[in-house]
Amino acid sequence: MNPALAGVALVVIVGAVVAGSAKNGRTAILGLVVTLVAAPLLADPPAAPLGLAARLVAAVLAGYLLWVATRGPAARTGGTLVGWPTEAFLAIAAAVVGYVSHGLGAPGLGPPLAAAAGFALAALSILPVLSGRDILRIGLGLLLLLTGALLVRTSLGGTPAELEDILTAGLVATLGGAVAILAIASRSDGRPGFELSATTPHRSSHGADAHPIEPE
Amino acid sequence: MSLVVYVVVTFGAAALAIALRTRRPWGLAAGLLGLVAAIVAAIAIDPTQTLVIGGAGIATSAYLRLFLILGSIVALGLTVAGLASGTRRDAPAVTLTVLGSAALTMALVDPRLAVLAATTGGLFGVLITLTPRDGRAGATVGILETRAVVVAGALAIAATAWIGRDLSQLDAQPVVFGLAYLAFATAVAMRFGAIPFHLWAARLTDVVPETALPVLTAIAPASMAVVALAWVGSAVAPVAVDLTPERYIVLAIAVATIVLAAVAAFVQDDLEHVLGYSIVSDAGVIVLALAVVGPDALAPGRTWILMFIVARGAFAVWAAGIRAGFFTGRVADLRGWARRSPILLVALLVVAVASIGFPGLASFDARASLVRLAVAQPLSSVLLIVTLVPLIYYGRLLAIGLARPDRVGEPVVAWRPLGERPTSGGIRLWGRRTWDANRAFTTATLAALLALLALATAAGAFGGPAAAAEPVPTVAIPDEFGRPVPSIGLPVRRASAAPSVPASFVPASAVPASSLPASDGPSSEPAASPFGEPSAVPSGSESPLP
Repeated sequence: MNPALAGVALVVIVGAVVAGSAKNGRTAILGLVVTLVAAPLLADPPAAPLGLAARLVAAVLAGYLLWVATRGPAARTGGTLVGWPTEAFLAIAAAVVGYVSHGLGAPGLGPPLAAAAGFALAALSILPVLSGRDILRIGLGLLLLLTGALLVRTSLGGTPAELEDILTAGLVATLGGAVAILAIASRSDGRPGFELSATTPHRSSHGADAHPIEPE
Repeated sequence: MSLVVYVVVTFGAAALAIALRTRRPWGLAAGLLGLVAAIVAAIAIDPTQTLVIGGAGIATSAYLRLFLILGSIVALGLTVAGLASGTRRDAPAVTLTVLGSAALTMALVDPRLAVLAATTGGLFGVLITLTPRDGRAGATVGILETRAVVVAGALAIAATAWIGRDLSQLDAQPVVFGLAYLAFATAVAMRFGAIPFHLWAARLTDVVPETALPVLTAIAPASMAVVALAWVGSAVAPVAVDLTPERYIVLAIAVATIVLAAVAAFVQDDLEHVLGYSIVSDAGVIVLALAVVGPDALAPGRTWILMFIVARGAFAVWAAGIRAGFFTGRVADLRGWARRSPILLVALLVVAVASIGFPGLASFDARASLVRLAVAQPLSSVLLIVTLVPLIYYGRLLAIGLARPDRVGEPVVAWRPLGERPTSGGIRLWGRRTWDANRAFTTATLAALLALLALATAAGAFGGPAAAAEPVPTVAIPDEFGRPVPSIGLPVRRASAAPSVPASFVPASAVPASSLPASDGPSSEPAASPFGEPSAVPSGSESPLP
């Protein structure tokens, strides 16, 4: 086992545990950024410089956009309901499963540690994605899920090509931006927090709405 | 490379439209000009080009070119109709990004990269879910859409990564192949909002204008479906593994989607929901193509997709025309619409004919072919009849339209072009009044034009079936020593890798018949179905499900 890669995998998982557990929105985002920045480093051989740079920039950009979205008071997210130790144990268990099942039936071309981290992130993302009750938490879960899938892909197929890294960077940044925009929009009604709306947006079916919805 | 021009035009115009969004006329102009430029750039695509960039291959094809031409025309029609009937200011920009992402998705020969582009394209749609009022409710719908797109993307990434590598040292159980296939098929179904993954798509219709809906739920996922069809045909089908249980699941999703979504469209009271469920119902046929698991599904599946995007776009413009002409989207309030707007009547009839079709029409034949390949007789005849269930909602709309109007004071002549006299307010005021007076006529005319385009596409015009039948392009990517390796994007098994693969996983086409044992290996006789019956399906395809 490469100790450097093991350290990176540990950082990825710890960041994900923080992102999935913290109730303070900005703490969770900080954990996410750590995960997003470290994840592309979990490859052997390392990714090409251009692709790696793109991934790092995208990670920071996604984190920055989310950071902007959580400006102001009461930028709290749901956080974990089971406590961070449980989340950590879940991540460790999933990482063990990922490590020992590296390759999933055929020799993996990437490091087993990427599989371990990928499985851990995927496991940590399940609760936020399925049962998240606020936009920020669901968004953080989606970013964890995506990063986990990308790590599993690296463990199976080896270090991504340069263009793949660039496309991945675009995807990560777009997802970060999308979640940030939604988070900002959710607070446009003046209420604090990012809770999901219980109501359906009203659509007038009878009024004279055959005009641009947004008047000049 | 001509495709790069298209991508630059779409993304560049989208960026410009977003940058100018606070100055609405300028932003709209950038979006509209970008869409016109996209049509020109799509027509200018050379369908035989390949490019290796950043260790990955990009290739154009006649099918890609046709998809982008039709998609760009439909997008322009939707955008103009949206201006007349009500839309979001970011709709043109989102439409452009979806088109650019679709171009990349279908041009990338490696499906592992293509699913990344497809997922990114799906995410741009959240901009349209942001409503000017009640932002929280819009954002809630947006995050549901984002969740569907990302979960689908994660499934597709995992599936393509698992099979998209050297499997010569395979020691996995056959079920893993089935899981990979099921994961990608499920991903496509989720992107279309197929039943039972339709919750987010149903909520989407609450916030997204009808003219933007086909962009998010038809054009964007259609590009991913094209990749999935090619991937299933070339990477999953050649593997001699019994996928019957997984295919039953995909088939169940497809049939449930076709039938239940059509029934849902029939019972809905709002045109937006009728439109949304009609898109889902027609997308069920694409999911059905994935249930075939064979290269034979590629041509009819891709033919159907071309008709799908144009016909759903035309139906959306028709719905916008109704809203612009009758100031309502409530079906129950539309009694007599057909008597008051003959253009919209023609548009709906043509859309229905293009979507349902009849024997001899390319789209109908494609659907019939998919049904035949997916299910054995006599069930295939039953299923073919079942796929005609969208007739019920077209019939309902038509019946209401032909009924006696129950309201007075409706704009009876709204569907005709109206000329406004120039006033002392200047040309700008006159132009605005003329535009306002002709909103209904504009959308109705656009609906009729797009409906005719849909009918032509359904009839096989523009070389659609021929383009759909072309093989997926390949690109030779040099290895680390600079030698060209015939490693194409969609992983095709090589004969040299076959001997080390367990016999049960060896694709029939990869092993010479002479090297096979006479007793327990695959033979040169027709392949047997999982149920012991000789199959008439060519080698490499799964048998129709009984």
